[in-house]
Amino acid sequence: MLLKNFKDNVIETKNLDFKTIIQDVSFEIRRGDYAAIIGPNGGGKSTLVKLILGLIPHDNGVIKLFGQAPSLGSLKKIGYVSQGIAKLDENFPISVHEVIKLGLIANKSLFSRITKNDLARIDHVLTKMNIQDLKDAKISELSGGQRQRVMIAKALVNQPQILILDEPNTGVDKQSQINFYALLKDLNHNENITILFITHDLGVIVDDINKVLCINQTLLACHDPRQIYHSEQLNQLYGVDAHMVCHHH
Amino acid sequence: MEIFQYTFMLKAFLAGTMIAAIASSLGMFVVVKRFSMLSDALAHISLLGVAIGFLTALSPSYSSLAFTLVASWIIEYLRQHNKLYSDSILSIFLSGSLALAIIIVSASSSFNTSLFDYLFGSIVAIDDDDIVIISLLGLICAVTLYVNFQRFLYIAFDEESAKASGINTTFLNYLLISLVSVVISVSIKIVGALLIGAMMVIPAIIAMQFSKNFKNSVTYAILIAMVSVIAGLFISYYASLPSGATIVVLLLCFFTVSILFKTKRY
Repeated sequence: MLLKNFKDNVIETKNLDFKTIIQDVSFEIRRGDYAAIIGPNGGGKSTLVKLILGLIPHDNGVIKLFGQAPSLGSLKKIGYVSQGIAKLDENFPISVHEVIKLGLIANKSLFSRITKNDLARIDHVLTKMNIQDLKDAKISELSGGQRQRVMIAKALVNQPQILILDEPNTGVDKQSQINFYALLKDLNHNENITILFITHDLGVIVDDINKVLCINQTLLACHDPRQIYHSEQLNQLYGVDAHMVCHHH
Repeated sequence: MEIFQYTFMLKAFLAGTMIAAIASSLGMFVVVKRFSMLSDALAHISLLGVAIGFLTALSPSYSSLAFTLVASWIIEYLRQHNKLYSDSILSIFLSGSLALAIIIVSASSSFNTSLFDYLFGSIVAIDDDDIVIISLLGLICAVTLYVNFQRFLYIAFDEESAKASGINTTFLNYLLISLVSVVISVSIKIVGALLIGAMMVIPAIIAMQFSKNFKNSVTYAILIAMVSVIAGLFISYYASLPSGATIVVLLLCFFTVSILFKTKRY
């Protein structure tokens, strides 16, 4: 029987600073965690993710991935879904199959080509995401929900240990959002993928996640999600009298 | 056919189709990165390099290559570090280099005619050295594109995700812009500084109208550019028209037809 090693920190920050946007942020994400980052717009959620991924350099503090300083090797174990779904260029001539194939490139050496095994992995994620019929379609012809599944397939094709998603539901219809949360739950529970994602829909997934990071320049709370229902820190986080509405699905 | 009896025309067909293939394949990446003005800006910088080459009695080809490469690296540095908007950077380099070239030309009237050739190009005055340089350049471009095709595509599609996955986006962006600048500085003598931008951008835009994937778009862009060069050379020879301008006008005709066809179809 495969046991999850919950003692293993896969993402760790200590006293992280970046300009005035992120101040003294320390937290740990353990292997198998399903964590949400919430906070007001401009509160530093996306910046925090970019710092973790090394997209921007931090000023002070420490970031560790898989217990070590971030490296090329550790980045290759992370699948990242950016806000690109909403920003997608409608004229870009690229097919679903080509987009998913991009997810394999980072692990390829300069002269190695796509193998039969790679193609089988692409077929596997196409099937898992239920988009096998769309593989030759141009990405701009797809709905928001279909594009979302393509971008997640791209992130999953490299068999990552961590999946980081930056507001993946922007421009996606309600039913697709429900399917998306079910998929994340399945990936976390059945494939032991650690998930960290930025969301505004905490109420929908509060029963699924086991950690929530409230960010507004600094880390206001790192709760068990069920504790946040009556938390004063929600008010502090959003600067208004806020409460959480729970939607069970 | 009479046209094939002349060596200069055979060289024109050979050099023209090779430049068409190289420029249009690189042009696909430039267009999808929304950096279409890059080719025009670099062409004008290249022209400044030629003017300085004439002024200082250096080889215009080498000074053009050096100026275009260095300017392309500055442009890429400014773009990567978000110092200025990309289109503003290109606009400044385009008008600034043209202004400097004009001042240099007006200061010394002795090389006006030679510089004029670089402005509009002379596809029918290609020598053996040009064929060798273009062949080598074509080989370098083909190998670089083949090896890095997926990485260039990833960066053009979603630079942030590409970087997050560990791809060295900084190096690859400099590599791509260096290739573009080398192609432009070599091509302006033949196609002209005012026309190379069209050769790079228009085939890509036409190809994008009809393709659902990137690989096919690159293939279509190369074919459209090569057909335009071949047809343009035929028309210019028999109608006694300037070759570079004829090729660009043909490309514009293809573009217009593609837009009309797409509007009717969808």
